[in-house]
Amino acid sequence: MHFTRRVVLASFRASVPVLLGYLAMGFAAGILLAKQSGAGALWAFATSVSSVSGALQFLLVDWFTHPTSLLTIALVTVSINLRYALYGLPLIERWKHLPWLLKAYMILTLTDETFALEVENKFPEGEDSLTYCFTIAALDHFYWVVGVVAGALAGHAVEFNAKGIDFAMTALFMVILLDQLQTRTNRAPALVGLGGALCGLAIFPQNMLIPSIVIILTLLLTLRSRLEVSHAR
Amino acid sequence: MPADVTTEYLLLATAIMFLVTFGLRSLVFLAFGGGRKPPQVILYIGGVISPAIIAALIVYCFRNTTLLSRPHGLPELLATATCVLLHLWKRNPLISIIVSTIVYMILVQRVF
Repeated sequence: MHFTRRVVLASFRASVPVLLGYLAMGFAAGILLAKQSGAGALWAFATSVSSVSGALQFLLVDWFTHPTSLLTIALVTVSINLRYALYGLPLIERWKHLPWLLKAYMILTLTDETFALEVENKFPEGEDSLTYCFTIAALDHFYWVVGVVAGALAGHAVEFNAKGIDFAMTALFMVILLDQLQTRTNRAPALVGLGGALCGLAIFPQNMLIPSIVIILTLLLTLRSRLEVSHAR
Repeated sequence: MPADVTTEYLLLATAIMFLVTFGLRSLVFLAFGGGRKPPQVILYIGGVISPAIIAALIVYCFRNTTLLSRPHGLPELLATATCVLLHLWKRNPLISIIVSTIVYMILVQRVF
């Protein structure tokens, strides 16, 4: 890696949209954690620095408020973050010669937004692509942790009625889904998810997530031939 | 199920979330670093799971909404409409999320 002013500035410029997004969303997740579960800023730091996952940062507020079986936590984490398992595919070749510790850090910080910027890889000519990507990864990671911790600190320090702030998580998921629905091939799987979750909710109102995931996976595998046909179109 | 939110439970929960998320992210590097191709079924599930799970999580977020008694899910309905319409119009995630959350907070705190 070779850090120059030019490449660091280019990374920063590319990361500005992420800066705004992560600070705002992290802040909301941090407030929620402080107000709903009462967990301190140290937990906000520990969870955001180690998992680096937006949806998870919101969901864990429920788990930090009402004790949940560790199996549920593991399974839900797998299903919301399963997409990460494929993010490495376009990066395997490019990262082949990275020292293992650096590679581990790049993998740890591989969020939706960081992945998009690293795949885009618009490093300035004559500069080192890996330096550019590493700087983006570190900046994005930093924004996220600062957002969550600042939110948790604010949630503890400022007295205000936070009732209803948990809608931020609902809105986050709706926005992600609305963007995904622009891609035609995402529509059928979204319907499967909706149907599966409604079944899960009807059968197990108090513990809907695991049954819903099982129903959804079964449906997706059963409908594979039809969904893949629509994929090919 | 654990009886209480203890430090030990929070530590375990944090560790599990980290291990699972990091494990998923490293999976392809470990499994397909040598140039082997992932099986078709994995690629298929990886391609369709995200919209399915996000849709399921939206249902999960609404699981405690009361439909049969007052306010009959009206705050949720209005805030959802705000979020969806704003997003279809502006396509700006931050605006959609912040405005609809504020609408929802006002509705549940002041109106209903």
